Amino acid sequence: MHSSSVKSFFEFIRKAWPLLPATLYLTGFQIIVFVYLLGLSLSDPAAGVEFPSIQPFLNLFADSRFQSALLNTLLFTVVGTPLELLAGLLLAFMLYQSFTMRGVVRSIFLIPLAIPALVTAMLLYILFDFPGGHINHLLAGNYWSLPAIISEPINWRGSQFFSMGISLMGKIWRDMPISMLILLTGLNSIDPELFDAAKTMGASLFKRIFAIVIPLIIPSISAVVLLRSVEMWKEFIFPFVLAGRYNLLGTLIDFFYNELGNSNRAAAVAIVMVICIVVTTLVLLKVMELLQRVLLRRG
Amino acid sequence: MISATPKRIPMTSGKKVIWTTGIILAVLIVTVPVYLLVKYSISDIKSINTGGKPIPWWPFEPTMQAFLYLFRDHHFYQVLLNSVIVAFSTVVLSLILGVPAAYILGRYKIPGRKLLLLGIISVRLFPDIASVIPVVEFFIHIGAHQTYWGVILAHTLLALPYVIFIGIGAFESIPADLEQQAWVMGAGTGQTFFRILLPLATPGLAAAAIYTFLLSWDEFIFAYFLMLGNQEIFTLTLYLNGIKYAEPQNLLAAISVCLSVPVIIFSLMVQRYMIAGISTGSVK
Amino acid sequence: MADVILRSLSKKFGNSTIIDNLDLSVRDGEFVTLLGPSGCGKTTLLRMIAGLESIDSGELLIGGKRYNAIPAQKRRIAMVFQSYALFPHMTVRRNILFGLQLNGVSQLKMQQKLKWVTGFLHLKGLEDRLPREISGGQRQRVALARALVLDPDVLLLDEPLSNLDAALRETAIEELKRIHRHVGKTIIYVTHNQVEAMSMSERIALINNGRTVQYDSPTALYDSPSNIFTAEFIGSPQINFFDGVIQAEEDGLGVMTDIGLLKLDKERNSRLKDLAGKKVKAGIRPQSVYFSKHSDSRRHTDTVIELTVELVENLGDKYLVIGRNITGAVVRFLIVRDEEVIPERKMKVFVDGRKVHLFDPTTSLNIFN
Repeated sequence: MHSSSVKSFFEFIRKAWPLLPATLYLTGFQIIVFVYLLGLSLSDPAAGVEFPSIQPFLNLFADSRFQSALLNTLLFTVVGTPLELLAGLLLAFMLYQSFTMRGVVRSIFLIPLAIPALVTAMLLYILFDFPGGHINHLLAGNYWSLPAIISEPINWRGSQFFSMGISLMGKIWRDMPISMLILLTGLNSIDPELFDAAKTMGASLFKRIFAIVIPLIIPSISAVVLLRSVEMWKEFIFPFVLAGRYNLLGTLIDFFYNELGNSNRAAAVAIVMVICIVVTTLVLLKVMELLQRVLLRRG
Repeated sequence: MISATPKRIPMTSGKKVIWTTGIILAVLIVTVPVYLLVKYSISDIKSINTGGKPIPWWPFEPTMQAFLYLFRDHHFYQVLLNSVIVAFSTVVLSLILGVPAAYILGRYKIPGRKLLLLGIISVRLFPDIASVIPVVEFFIHIGAHQTYWGVILAHTLLALPYVIFIGIGAFESIPADLEQQAWVMGAGTGQTFFRILLPLATPGLAAAAIYTFLLSWDEFIFAYFLMLGNQEIFTLTLYLNGIKYAEPQNLLAAISVCLSVPVIIFSLMVQRYMIAGISTGSVK
Repeated sequence: MADVILRSLSKKFGNSTIIDNLDLSVRDGEFVTLLGPSGCGKTTLLRMIAGLESIDSGELLIGGKRYNAIPAQKRRIAMVFQSYALFPHMTVRRNILFGLQLNGVSQLKMQQKLKWVTGFLHLKGLEDRLPREISGGQRQRVALARALVLDPDVLLLDEPLSNLDAALRETAIEELKRIHRHVGKTIIYVTHNQVEAMSMSERIALINNGRTVQYDSPTALYDSPSNIFTAEFIGSPQINFFDGVIQAEEDGLGVMTDIGLLKLDKERNSRLKDLAGKKVKAGIRPQSVYFSKHSDSRRHTDTVIELTVELVENLGDKYLVIGRNITGAVVRFLIVRDEEVIPERKMKVFVDGRKVHLFDPTTSLNIFN
């Protein structure tokens, strides 16, 4: 028994040894990540807490900075995911029709993805400058007799609401091509004859979209919602550049680690982030399962 | 019944107007920011610090000032060099580790293959910002903190799953007959690999290499945490971030353009490859 | 009233003309088939009637009302597609009731209609299944049911049987005939399969290159083809064609061809006198060439041909024999399978003069029209 499994193990090594370096590399890092995260977050030398203890987490939850970061990130995710889904849907619907410049327009729509996230963040940093950025001038009605929407320039990065807002905008702008591609694949898999059939049965455009298209692209929509909400939870670059004073979980990690030098607390936040992601994923999967069942039951 | 053009949906003129407006709006939303970035990079100072007057949509006196400044600054060259060194080394390391792995996974059925593949993808599911702390702490312990090596190792960690996946695709698509032909002619496994499989997989591996280069070139999070404190080795992304409060906007924009240019060029090339990967499955 | 009139209908896709000045009229309650080879435009025509394709020029009238500009949603027509186009995410019940729900029909009425149509089309018990859970034949009936419950003025069917195997197709043909008898709606049916067309239609519009070639009852199309295309397309096995010249000598009045002097029936033969010297194409169906052991059972007008058998095809109850005569002309004919027929055998066969069709080679038209 024992000898045969050892033998087959050596066989395995002999055949598959080129696989090992990469596997060891990746596994090694994963292990390091887990070990350090757990080790760091369950202790707090500065506060005299020895490993293992959940006291650091309790301290973290009591920290008002953490509470607002958690809330902010939750809002960020809850607001951002549907918006990104919407943006992707609109782009995908527009590309669904076949027209002469379709290939060109699709390439154009993919541009945001090609631009490094930091660059996009930097661009927004410039545009939403206070007091004299492009956007402030635009909203103040300084161009071509466009109406003035504000009387005072807005301090975008100075307000929690606005800085989160522009971070979200940047993230959505940058990532919407991915949603678009996923949804477009779903749209392309629908048999066009279904629309013909619906038309002959008297269905208006509205009905055709909501009774046929949407249900048939639920899998794609689910994929987008799942992937995008995870992305929102772990967002770092945009809030880092644009919303430095207010925290999301990602920038909170940077704050604790680089500014306070507290690696333990930073690790704890990281663990909380991972937990949030896992919980969100499980919840969404469950919701999608229920949705499938509801859609099929009616009638 | 095959219609003359795929999915030509007849639209009433009303709908067509809405749709056309939508497309134009979307194109603008996507391209205007890019235009603005370029505009800022060629703006003269008066077009930026307008002293209260509205910022022009086209600079008063467009100039290459910002770029010239950059390319005369030897510090900037150092930064560029750093990015190149890191990116290039990442490519090399990722290929050394990833190509053999892709070869085995792509052409052999080994027990636990599916599990392994799942494991490899899941490495990328873990948030970067969460794994950064352990990695930095670990590197501090082994003395790789604030060195080129630290960043290179970290970037390889990020790129390796993609290299393996793209590599698997490249190796899988080579017909088995070619390999068998080589064996029949007396070639050993090693010779077959180097003289037959590797050359044929090269286009796919080249795509993986380009993707890795870009990934490293654009990377901010790991670079930031790992290099903070050692300005000498800053990559372009760090440099940009470091000066964002201090320097004028045209300079920031110029650096941003430098950051983006290789990306856009290669993106157009890689794009076709990536779309093929994501969009397969659109079969009626 | 649900009569359908197509007047000078035309449609182009880019540079190619798909429908070329086509005229057609279907009476209320009639079962008409659009028959033709692939690419002839019959499906495009059907889609134009449905409102799924636009009309470039000409008029479409249904029940006397001009339908050109009316969108598909508002037309009182129902269509069954070749692929059935069942909504994959809806049960059979929801598929069938989809159109009724759109029109705000009462729950009671919907259930009544559902009950009727599932009984009528043998779909009882399948109401809660999804399309992927039922067989091809059942899916086809669901597509039909979906169309029937809408109570349309005109029912359009686009090759609905082409995905079924031969046995199912026969049953389906019976079903469709039964449906037409029972429901009495105007039905326009598209197919490239002449067996379907011949067995179900009251009239068949034979279409080629976007034009109507001949529009007649199945019998008329078979017995009196007005042109070469009809003669070639209708009838299986395919018709024999021979080039010939009309001879006008007293006792030699007929058509001189490679297989000999063909005489027609008395009435038509006498008209040949005025056409002496004219070049013609003679068409003779394999069914019109017969073999008889007793040479005196033939008619006076029948022509004798001496053939050497080249090939024999077993069609089940008959043989299809391909034979050549001395000049090398090929004749295909049918013979009951109690004769021993082998290659190289010499046979004498007779051509039934009543069944010979003559066509003008340049205009392709039957010279007797």
